[in-house]
Amino acid sequence: MSDPTNDATEPADALVQPASPVLRDLLSRFAGRVLAVSEHRGDATAIVDRAALLEVGRHLRDDAACAFDMLLDVTAVDYLGRRPRFEVVYHLLSIDRNDRVRIKVPLEEEDLVIPSVVPIWAGADWLERETFDLYGVRFDGHPNLKRIYLYEEFEGHPLRKDYPKEKRQPLIGPGAVRRDPMNDDLTR
Amino acid sequence: MAARVVTVDRRSLRAKGGAFGARAFAKGLSVTWRHFSRNLMGWVRGTPTVATVMFPEEDVVKPAAFRGMPVLVQMDDGKERCVACGLCEWACPVDCISIDPAETPDPIERHPLRFDIDMGRCMYCGLCEEACPEEAIVMSDRVEISAFSRGGIVWNKEDLLVPQDQLARRLDWIRRSYDR
Amino acid sequence: MSDTHGHGHHVEEEEKPVAKARPIEPTEDSLDLPFEPMELKMGPSHPATHGTVRILLKLDGERIVHSEVEVGYLHRGFEKECESGLWYQAFPYTDRLNYVSPIINNVGYALACEKLFGIEAPERAQWLRVIASEVSRMSDHYTCLGACSLELGAFTAFLYAVEAREQLWDLHDALCGARVTTNYVRIGGLSMDVGRDFRELAKERLAAAGKLQQDLEDLLLSNPIFLDRMEGTGVLPKEKLIELGVTGPVLRAAGVPYDVRRAQPYLVYDRIDYDVPIGEAGDNLDRFLVRIEELKQSRRMIEQCVERMPEGPVDVDDPHVRLAGKGRVFERMEELIAQFKIVTEGPKPPVGEVYQAVEGGNGELGFYLVSDGTGRPVKCRPRSPSFSNTQALSPMIDGAMLADVIPTFDMINMIGGECDR
Repeated sequence: MSDPTNDATEPADALVQPASPVLRDLLSRFAGRVLAVSEHRGDATAIVDRAALLEVGRHLRDDAACAFDMLLDVTAVDYLGRRPRFEVVYHLLSIDRNDRVRIKVPLEEEDLVIPSVVPIWAGADWLERETFDLYGVRFDGHPNLKRIYLYEEFEGHPLRKDYPKEKRQPLIGPGAVRRDPMNDDLTR
Repeated sequence: MAARVVTVDRRSLRAKGGAFGARAFAKGLSVTWRHFSRNLMGWVRGTPTVATVMFPEEDVVKPAAFRGMPVLVQMDDGKERCVACGLCEWACPVDCISIDPAETPDPIERHPLRFDIDMGRCMYCGLCEEACPEEAIVMSDRVEISAFSRGGIVWNKEDLLVPQDQLARRLDWIRRSYDR
Repeated sequence: MSDTHGHGHHVEEEEKPVAKARPIEPTEDSLDLPFEPMELKMGPSHPATHGTVRILLKLDGERIVHSEVEVGYLHRGFEKECESGLWYQAFPYTDRLNYVSPIINNVGYALACEKLFGIEAPERAQWLRVIASEVSRMSDHYTCLGACSLELGAFTAFLYAVEAREQLWDLHDALCGARVTTNYVRIGGLSMDVGRDFRELAKERLAAAGKLQQDLEDLLLSNPIFLDRMEGTGVLPKEKLIELGVTGPVLRAAGVPYDVRRAQPYLVYDRIDYDVPIGEAGDNLDRFLVRIEELKQSRRMIEQCVERMPEGPVDVDDPHVRLAGKGRVFERMEELIAQFKIVTEGPKPPVGEVYQAVEGGNGELGFYLVSDGTGRPVKCRPRSPSFSNTQALSPMIDGAMLADVIPTFDMINMIGGECDR
């Protein structure tokens, strides 16, 4: 995995010693696995290695000095033409400490798998499904990873930069085999 | 100057309703009766108090800022003010404007040979009016675009031209509100 | 079953007024007889759900054994559209996120862009944005409360709420010339200033809306039928709500005073007086009452703002960001060139990424923007409150009665445009 701080889309003011105590804590505790931190426009951001995501997530939720109890958003960004091409972005909020942090995980196009954070924040369920739907990122360990906005037969992932805006999808007629949610076991 | 946190009062609600909700029932009747009698009296006296308007027999009063469909300003000599610079075409988020520019011997030198707005796509956002450096395209107070076919809601230059004295209110408004 | 779980037991609730979730245990009858759960598909078009959503239910009698919520019927590719246009061309699309409180979306997007650009709108624009946001929030809450009462059978209350909303949309109309598709806020300012008569108009319309709100409260709040439907239904503990990412009135009703306006004040919210109402039981009644109180607080905020709003420009004076005034464009070459550059290339923010949150009608509305230094966004992502809130619907109704779906769904107030983007 190439160094994600070395590209044009990263803010230039990546700090050696950040002002945010959360970022300082992450840097010392997960040395080598938190790849970079930045505080562009006051948004605390940490770029985390995929292998350390769950550990970092648990720490951020459970440690009293972090207490990020709410996962606000999960999404991905497609930097077409750069390696690694994708980044999965998490926005966390601590209600008690009134603090925010953004976690980014770089992902290669050939290996678009990331561990699911549903065991840490249950609210990640739909958000990860949406990211899977629109970007094709697979979330390992997600309880119900299927498309949420688009239909099952939709081809491709529309928010990728190489998906043309005007692209047409094939018609799905009455002959097409559609999954019936009622025939599946909903209680699983 | 700060925000206080208050807890809503839910404990007294049931008591206010009275036994078997009788008081709540009476209160509800009095509210609806008040509305009914007020509206009835308004109708009898010819001063309506209801919110609805009998459109199209009655016209709706539109505020000065109202954004209806975009139209082209027609100058007093019958020609359009547009110089076909294409800024509205650029600014339009839904690409509903298409212009074919041409040269003209008039002092304005350029004019649109063709100026089409697909009203089926237009979302009345007003970005064309904001972008126009000539006050040539403005948001009028017209809203009736219905047609019998899809082609019919593509308006061409002749359909879009409106004499500028009919647009005086809007032109005046643009001058005042966009001048800073 | 109806004896233990129906609505006939509200008398007990009078004794302990803070309602608890109704315990659902299999009765002896249901164990004796062999049964198969009935499958019911509510929606996507259902008269009692004001939003295009499908709820798949498995029922044992009237009790919900399992539910699954399917969204996405209103997905229009908001992000794709924004990424293919210029930064300023996204404003009309943001109207269509939460279309009952459009200006809050405009404000949220503009604030995120301004954070990205590193600029700040002038003082008067900030006050006007607060006014516009609160007007929008009121219209959102009136729609929610009105639709809820309609779906619980109170048609008259719905008419009063919608009439009150029309009063507020008159204010939208005066601010920006449209009632719903506002497109009001711009990067670094506003599309237009308000006229001098706005203060009087605002007071008049707010007074009219306040009267109608009083009628709405008189009709509903002491009505035992209404209270029976609302009390103790749709309860989730606040820890669970936080875990699911629920914000806004639903979270505040559970007793968590998290409001972006108070926690991380933006615009001039730190300079005006208002209360943040919270509930104690976290049921649908609390959610309703929190919204009622927020309406009063919004009205209070607007009244303060129209009095204290300073005179001055509403746009930043920066030719790289905001168009110059029409008068100057007609007469001067520089402004004309700047006009062409801004419209065709769009304002160009520096490279970077930001997240900016505002308090939307239903919770935290955030915008996550990524810029590569060109006139087009790399990423324009709204963090919509409805999406996370709707996710909590299924755990709220699992184990409840079928009829409880309606008030619970109403109080979550899913807005299709915002949820499905």
